[in-house]
This record gives sequence, structure tokens and C-alpha cells, in this order.
Amino acid sequence: MARKRSVQKESRARGALELEVISCLAAGGRPMTPAQVQEEIGGGIAYTTVMTTLSRLYAKRALERSPVGRAYEYSLIGGTQGARSNMAAHQMLRLLDEESDRAEVLARFVAELKPADEKLLATLIERAAPTPSARRRSGQPRTGS
Amino acid sequence: MIVLAAVPLLAGALLFCVARPLGRRLPPSLAVRLLTVLALSVALCSGLVLSVLAVLVGARLGPLPRMGNWSAAVLRRDSGLPVLAGLVACVVVAGCLTSAAVRAGRSLRDLAKARRLAQTLHPIDDALVLVEDDVPTAYAVAGSGGRVVVSTSMLRALSATERRVLIAHEQAHLRHSHHVYLHLVRLAAAANPLLRPTANAVAAGIERWADEEAAATVGDRRLAAHALANAALARAGHPGSGVALAIAESHVIERVQALLVAPVQRRHALASLVLLAATASWAAATAITIWANNIVQAAEAVYLRR
Repeated sequence: MARKRSVQKESRARGALELEVISCLAAGGRPMTPAQVQEEIGGGIAYTTVMTTLSRLYAKRALERSPVGRAYEYSLIGGTQGARSNMAAHQMLRLLDEESDRAEVLARFVAELKPADEKLLATLIERAAPTPSARRRSGQPRTGS
Repeated sequence: MIVLAAVPLLAGALLFCVARPLGRRLPPSLAVRLLTVLALSVALCSGLVLSVLAVLVGARLGPLPRMGNWSAAVLRRDSGLPVLAGLVACVVVAGCLTSAAVRAGRSLRDLAKARRLAQTLHPIDDALVLVEDDVPTAYAVAGSGGRVVVSTSMLRALSATERRVLIAHEQAHLRHSHHVYLHLVRLAAAANPLLRPTANAVAAGIERWADEEAAATVGDRRLAAHALANAALARAGHPGSGVALAIAESHVIERVQALLVAPVQRRHALASLVLLAATASWAAATAITIWANNIVQAAEAVYLRR
């Protein structure tokens, strides 16, 4: 029983790591080597674990890779193109979201903020001394459009 | 006996006043479940009670007693209901049923539409759907296994650990079928306007529930608060769609605050009170139905003896 649970936990952790790697590559928007992915993810995850995850995703045809020196650079298959092809459905879901009072499209992570809320929020998280891992990456975020 | 008819309505009125604070004083996963159960109980029981009153008065009117073979005099004497009360009940019940039916129809239509749209999304590794939207956005779509949709701009605005919070939050929505609670409680609110604050409290509670799950996944509630705040701030520069989300605006602040203080403890007394209100509603509705049934039987017996 205990063993079964630990196996379940392990497979869940593996799935979470795969998602982390995917979102890391998506955020980067460029091909990355295992070392770069490891550095970006942080959190004391071993290089071999990152490499295993990348090759598993490659085997599942979620990633493509090209050799760079002695390593491989990984990127999402059809990354930007796929993201663009999802736009139509995304826009329609957004519309549905507004019409249907957020029942089907489950509540976005966050909604718009009023300027006053913005300031309050900034003060709030400043006061709660940020953990090093929670700091925003440099060169972020993209503002204005 | 007729006084009991007020019990579900009183429970509804009580819920109207305390739904929001109640939602905040219980752990979100418990609050969402309890409030949904109570809202459904109140909607069903108040509907049932009003229908019974409407039938007791309606059966006395016009040619109905002759057609149905019962005595209008016995119905009037035993129930003691004035005609006006019955007519009001009639109108209210018709209104509630229509409103609930419209809502149910709309929910079903949206469900089908969202399912269809979700099927056209191309997920990476069967889980995450990326969109190239300049507005930082992230949401979960229920149906066909569920999809988490995230814009690349949102991913770029967050650190790696914050992205974990974001994804864990959306996955919690899907894992616990949060859309079912929303549909049920909105249906209840459509049938009984007293339940609208409860529907809002459940919508807010669902977000808090997913926040707490995400915090548990990364093992750090403060980190979860930061992820939430940073995501909100990244979005702040982009005036987007926004009409339906007026309520959600203040929620972000509340959610961040809730994550920065100690988690809410389970309060058994408060939870029992909610369950008690639901049970009382059902007991009252059952008692009224049995009472009305007895009156109708008496009215039929008198008619037959004549």
C-alpha cells in the first residue's frame, strides 16, 4: 500500500516536471540545452533528471532536438506555430467566458486589476519578504503592447 | 404546520446574509462543498414548499374541485390558506422554474460549446495548451479530459517556480471538477435569487481552493501568493475583456492576503450549522408535503361521501 502510494507520487512528480520543462521552453521561446533548462528551473533538480525528462518528452514527440556541440538543444515541436493555431479557439473561449459568467471556462488565474489594487498588491508582497525563488526573472515582464 | 413552509425560505435569507463570511471562515474545499449542498437544498426545498402551497390553493379554484372530485371547502378549512397567498406562490414558482430552465439550457449549451472548442486546441504532451496572446492569461477548460490554456506572455512574466504554482492551480480546477460546483450553484441561484451571494461565494471559494492546492504542491504558501500577485501585476498593463470579471478584481487581493496568513482552521461548529440548515430545510419540506397530502386525501374522502 505504502509502496503503491509512493509510486503514484513519483509518477505525479514526473508529470509535474515534464510540465515544468515544457513551460520553461515555452517561456524561453528558443531552443535550450539540458544545462540551460536545469539552470532556469532551479530548485536543486539534478542534471540527469532534467536530461531524462527532456529525452522522455522527445520520445513522446512533444519536443524536437538538434545537436549543438556534445549536447542537444531542445525546443517545442511547432512551438509558436502551434500556439498561433490555438488562437482562434482561445478567442472564442474567452468570449464564452464572458457570456456564460465563467462557468465553463474555469476562472482565469487572475483578472484585471484596478490601479488602486495594483498598488495594494505591490505593497502586500513587498511586506512578505520574497523568497529568492519567488523573485521575478530579470528582463521581465513584458509590459505594454 | 404552515409555519414550517418558512423554514427553507429562512435558510435562504440566512444564506443571503452570511454566505460570504461563511465562505471565508472555513477551509475553501469544505466551504465550497457545504455551500453548494446548502444552496441546492434551499432551492429545491423552497421550490417544493411553494409548489405545495400553490397546489393547495389552485385546487380550490374554478371547475377544478368538480373535475378532480375533491371538496374545495375542506381544502380551504384544513389548509387555512388565503387565495392570495396561493396565487403569489403560483407566480413565484412559475418564475423560478422558468429562470432555472433558462439557466440549465444555457449551461448545457455552454458545456457543449466549450467541449467542442477544447477539442480543437492542440495540447503539448496532452496537458498544456499554449496560446500566443499578448495579454498574460491562464485558465482551465473542463471537458474532454480538461485542458490548461496558458499564454506564452504569462509564462514569460513568471519565474520557474511561479509557473509551477500557476499550472498546479489550473490542474486543481480540473482534478476537482470545479465547474460542476459552479453549474449547480448557479442553477440554484437562478431558481432562487436569495442564493446569488452564495453563488459568488462558491466562485470565490473555488479559486481559493485551487490556490491552496497549488501552495501545497510547491510546499510554500508565500511563494503561491507571489505567483498570484506577479501574474495579476503582469496582466494589469493589459486592459482586456473584462466585463464579467468585475467581482474577480477584488478577489486577487483577498486571495493573496489569505495565502500570506495562516491557513483557515476547520470549524466543526460552523460546518455543522450549515448542515443543520440544509437538514431543517429538507425536514420542513417533507413535513409540508405530507401535511398537504393528508389534506387532499381528506378533501377527496368528503367529496366521495357526499
